[in-house]
Amino acid sequence: MNIILDRPRCEGHGLCEEAAPALMHLDDDGELIIDVGDLPDDSTELAAARAAVRVCPVAALKLA
Amino acid sequence: MTPSAPAISQIDLFADSILTDPYPTFTELRELGSVVHLPVNNVYALTRYDAIRAALADPATFSSRTIGFNPMVNEALQGTSLASDPPVHTELRAALTENLTPRALRGLKTRIDTKAEALVADLVAQGTFEAIDALARAFPLEVVADLIGFTGAARDNMLRWGQAAMEVIGPLNPRTLENFPIAGELYAWCAGVQAEDLAPGSVGRGIFDAEARGTIPPGTAGHIIHQYLGAGVDTTITALGNIVALFAAFPDQFDLVRQNPSLVPAAFNEVLRFWAPLHAWGREVTRDVEIDGVLVPAGSQVAILFGAGNRDPRHYDNPDAFLVERNPADHLSFGYGSHGCAGQGLARLEAHAVIAALATHAQRLDAAEPVRLPSNITRSIDALDILKVVPA
Repeated sequence: MNIILDRPRCEGHGLCEEAAPALMHLDDDGELIIDVGDLPDDSTELAAARAAVRVCPVAALKLA
Repeated sequence: MTPSAPAISQIDLFADSILTDPYPTFTELRELGSVVHLPVNNVYALTRYDAIRAALADPATFSSRTIGFNPMVNEALQGTSLASDPPVHTELRAALTENLTPRALRGLKTRIDTKAEALVADLVAQGTFEAIDALARAFPLEVVADLIGFTGAARDNMLRWGQAAMEVIGPLNPRTLENFPIAGELYAWCAGVQAEDLAPGSVGRGIFDAEARGTIPPGTAGHIIHQYLGAGVDTTITALGNIVALFAAFPDQFDLVRQNPSLVPAAFNEVLRFWAPLHAWGREVTRDVEIDGVLVPAGSQVAILFGAGNRDPRHYDNPDAFLVERNPADHLSFGYGSHGCAGQGLARLEAHAVIAALATHAQRLDAAEPVRLPSNITRSIDALDILKVVPA
């Protein structure tokens, strides 16, 4: 599965980072960086990735 | 499968008793179905969490051109990001949020924290205070006024203008009619405001600079100021008042936050979930749409009941309990998707500052029964006497 960021939609609220700190972070400019975007189907981080997608308040993240 | 007709309820969604205490009604409606037709208000109410979130995520089907419940307000809001749909919305939203995103607001955090700290320390030292005027209203009025750069008459009118801007989103009942002239004052002021009316160095002044540079379309600066005031004042006041009232009502939950300051963001999420600041918000259905097997015809007006979705037991366990450790980060009170609250970053800064200051300075808050007055859209506490504060 891939974490897909719709960059223009992202407003940098940072809720995704709280949900999945091992997968993404806001850089010093407040821009979201996806650190690990490609997750194997048996990845233990899939739940965190789903949580990050879920809490994005502006629907800028997808898992596909 | 052929879609069925929706359940019907004869309630008036904007009746005084429902506005002040909507949760028993929300439970009834939610049990009737995800969609309930309310003939008295001529709307289809969305009541369950999944249906609400799906509607907010689908602006092509659920258009924002009728976010209000009367034609006059919807007409007046045309051309704002609030009432527009993609693709027009995308550009307007970008202009609106440029100065409101967390990264734009980072420089304000220290100032907001310091202000909250000083204000709360002073109130706790007084021993008794009225929390709505002295804290819930005073704090965001100061923050937003400084942010936009309001001075003079505009500053004095922020509270009544902000309240009226929300009230007129309701149906054509007496509350809406009484407030149209006041909302009109705000509208007229925003139509005429010029860069030099706003304090140098403020975000408000920056919006005019952006208009002069051509970064945002000509004539939109006034719209943006209007939205900052109309959307950002009354809602934040509501949330801050709710924080104080809920911490007073649930001292064991307040204790958890005091003992563990990392719970501050989770506590704010739970305050927003437990008491949604907005009672109802509109959408217009652009095509025949089926929701959980029920047909909502094209052209229908929808009423999104954030507070009903936030208490949906299909989504949250034990939804009627106030639990600060729950951390419901996916609550519906900021909406969701392309129209998700544009000011939520600022709201979080303000609310987290107030929660942290309360948890630092107070050990217990003894409050009188909150006084609530019915209002069409914002469900807020009008007066909350703190009879005694036990200092930390």
